[in-house]
Amino acid sequence: MINATKKWIFLKISSAILVPLMIWFLFNLVSFYDKNYDEVLLFFVSQPSKLLFSLFIVFAYFYSALSISEVFEDYIESEKIKNVANKLLYLFAIIIPILTLLLLFKLSL
Amino acid sequence: MTDKNPISPHIQIYNWHISSLISISHRITGIINIIIVTFICFWVAFLLLGNSNYELVQKFFEGYFGKFLIIGTVWSFSFQILSEIRHMFWDLGFGFELKTSNITGLLVIFGSLFLTIFIFILGRSLFI
Repeated sequence: MINATKKWIFLKISSAILVPLMIWFLFNLVSFYDKNYDEVLLFFVSQPSKLLFSLFIVFAYFYSALSISEVFEDYIESEKIKNVANKLLYLFAIIIPILTLLLLFKLSL
Repeated sequence: MTDKNPISPHIQIYNWHISSLISISHRITGIINIIIVTFICFWVAFLLLGNSNYELVQKFFEGYFGKFLIIGTVWSFSFQILSEIRHMFWDLGFGFELKTSNITGLLVIFGSLFLTIFIFILGRSLFI
């Protein structure tokens, strides 16, 4: 199987997982965004929202990295610039969710 | 030697159709969404600073701009959800006919507006 096919399959699997997670997160976001510290904290530290939010962050970055690299593929002509852009994108998509998960597990009531 | 990697036809060359509008909007909202998710990650980080510092965030979200930002976020995600579902149907081999493609394109545009209102009303009344 060539790399482009693998990338497409990963993109489709991650989008199928991400759609219900996005719907779940949006319903919760509109309910807690203007609440006080304790109520917002409760959402991020209690289960199952902590687990679901962690999955949402991981899959959102994974899916976005794959789909934005497609945009680079379509619109960046130079291979050199494209490679640098992709490396920076993948680095960003790994570091931010890891840091967020570490912070999330540090949070407590 | 200059690189001759072929790139996509520029968006200014062809006439605009529903499909091209949805396609470019799908890409734009995808990039906007990951910026929003990054801000949500900062929001989580802000919680670590404690209750006294959080009042600033709460005041921001209680204001008009904060509410506008949340509604915009819900629309941008709703658009991405519906457009992604449209792509899934294409992947299964359905909806390629021009008429069907135009109808599903319109469904994505108007459906995202409906979904935004639906999520906002239901989310505000049912959760927490």
